[in-house]
Amino acid sequence: MTSLVTARGISKNFGAVRAIDNVSFEIEKGKIMGLIGPNGAGKTTLLKAVLGLTDCEGQLSVLGLDPFRQRKELMEKICFIADVAVLPRWIKVSQLLDFMAATHPNFSRTRTDELLSHTKVRPNAKVRELSKGMVTQLHLSIIMAVDAKLLVLDEPTLGLDIIFRKEFYGNLLNDYFDGEKTILITTHQVEEIENLLTDIMFINDGRILLHASMESIPDSFVELITSGEAAEAARRLGPIHERDVFGQKVMTFKGIDRDQLDGLGEAHTPSVADLFVAMIKGVAA
Amino acid sequence: MIANQLALLRRELWEHGSIWVTPAAVVFVLALGAIASFIAASGFGGAVDIAIIGASNVGDAERRAALMVALLLNTSVLLIAMWILTVFYSLDSLYAERKDKSILFWRSLPITDTEVVLSKLLTAVVLIPLVTFVAVVVSTLINLLLTSIWIGFEGGSASHLIWGSVPLFDTWAAILVVMIAAPLWASPMIGWFLFVSAWTKRSPLLMAFLPIIVLALLEYVVFRSHLLFAAIGSRTQLINMPIFHGDPSVLFDNHNFQAHAQGPLSLLTQLDVGRFVTSPGLWAGLTVCGLLVTAAIYVRRYRDDS
Repeated sequence: MTSLVTARGISKNFGAVRAIDNVSFEIEKGKIMGLIGPNGAGKTTLLKAVLGLTDCEGQLSVLGLDPFRQRKELMEKICFIADVAVLPRWIKVSQLLDFMAATHPNFSRTRTDELLSHTKVRPNAKVRELSKGMVTQLHLSIIMAVDAKLLVLDEPTLGLDIIFRKEFYGNLLNDYFDGEKTILITTHQVEEIENLLTDIMFINDGRILLHASMESIPDSFVELITSGEAAEAARRLGPIHERDVFGQKVMTFKGIDRDQLDGLGEAHTPSVADLFVAMIKGVAA
Repeated sequence: MIANQLALLRRELWEHGSIWVTPAAVVFVLALGAIASFIAASGFGGAVDIAIIGASNVGDAERRAALMVALLLNTSVLLIAMWILTVFYSLDSLYAERKDKSILFWRSLPITDTEVVLSKLLTAVVLIPLVTFVAVVVSTLINLLLTSIWIGFEGGSASHLIWGSVPLFDTWAAILVVMIAAPLWASPMIGWFLFVSAWTKRSPLLMAFLPIIVLALLEYVVFRSHLLFAAIGSRTQLINMPIFHGDPSVLFDNHNFQAHAQGPLSLLTQLDVGRFVTSPGLWAGLTVCGLLVTAAIYVRRYRDDS
């Protein structure tokens, strides 16, 4: 597998605040990586470093380029949506597409026209006249018409209703992702993208808590719903996190053989959201 | 690089419609003003006839000079509009994209910060003056045409009074040269506005002028001098540009008018482009502008607002 993003010991300080703290990771080609963390965890700073929007200490290579120093070259090969409100409001749809065609070597006007023909976005409309959902459709249509190696999405569906969100990820998966491209995505609505992801990375206080493939999660983590004496027995096995749900105990275990939990309750693989909470709280405890 | 620059300049015209709307509006108002003055003047009946007879009988030189003054008055209104437009455009150019957060979209494209900031500078220094020049030409033609119609209506000969007398191309060429030179001469101011636009977090207009006013006041209180205001004045008043042979105000001074009016009046011959291009003041100004624009590029590239 080829590594698309390689980070070795990268750090970023804002005054006394350490936004990223000596982080190392790799993202391989063809992955859909979910970057998940609470507010202020350093997600956006990390993405900005990958996009060359901010400088950082340590070694960072994206598609073999130094993102901060070779941003122009990098932007020919990667795309990003920072959040929904980012398209200039004064511009007409047709002007936006003209501008993209004139400045982006890997942009296909025909492809955007085709994608937009399935939406209510009209070429003569100004961005300010479009609804929030339509602006996102427009932005996604532009991004999908760029033959990019890496797509970075930072809270791409913020403020959108459920129908648009489902449609957004549906389009992304069906019309864009082809196994050759790589997607790096952050969102608070983890549940909605859980089935999309091939890999996850949890980040908190500028550090990586977990970096794993989705396939490896069932082998590494198990959640047990238990109560009473069984809960006591399970607790002795050292859960990383425990919570109460309707009078029952829900415990998350790491690196434990599922056979050990036989008879102690109902065992299953935790959802990404639950695993995230368990890991954040577990570490904090 | 050039294709990107052209796309960026076109983008500026899309975003800042005022670049062509403002001169177009001024042209329209000047035309309305001309029509209104003709209607008002027509009310004087016999006096108009006498004036037309008078104008027909003065010498060619006097008529040329009178027409040129009229043309330059027209132009000066457009020039004032151009300065106001340039100040507001420059201050808004790098501020608006941060205010509406579209900077994140623009920076997601394969365009460098240098290319973007240069496109703003080129818009202020080249595009706005060129659009204004086109407006000057259109306005001149419209107003001369309106005047011709009116003179014809009043029984005069427009071909003799207007079109045979006005040194149109000479005046236009001179105005074009001055319009290209003026923003270069004022480039330290434009550089300052672009820098403030890239740097300030709020009210670029206030942030651009407040430090100047405070510094000028301090200068006056401490040294009892007006050097800062004088320096700014020397950059913004056309008459101070080292592009004229001697003092250009002489041209329209009553005492010297006769001397100038003897031969065919030519504005172009009053200009000395060589003197302008080789004047240390121009290059000093361009250097200051270059430093301020570099600072603007640096701020756009390195500052992390969000």
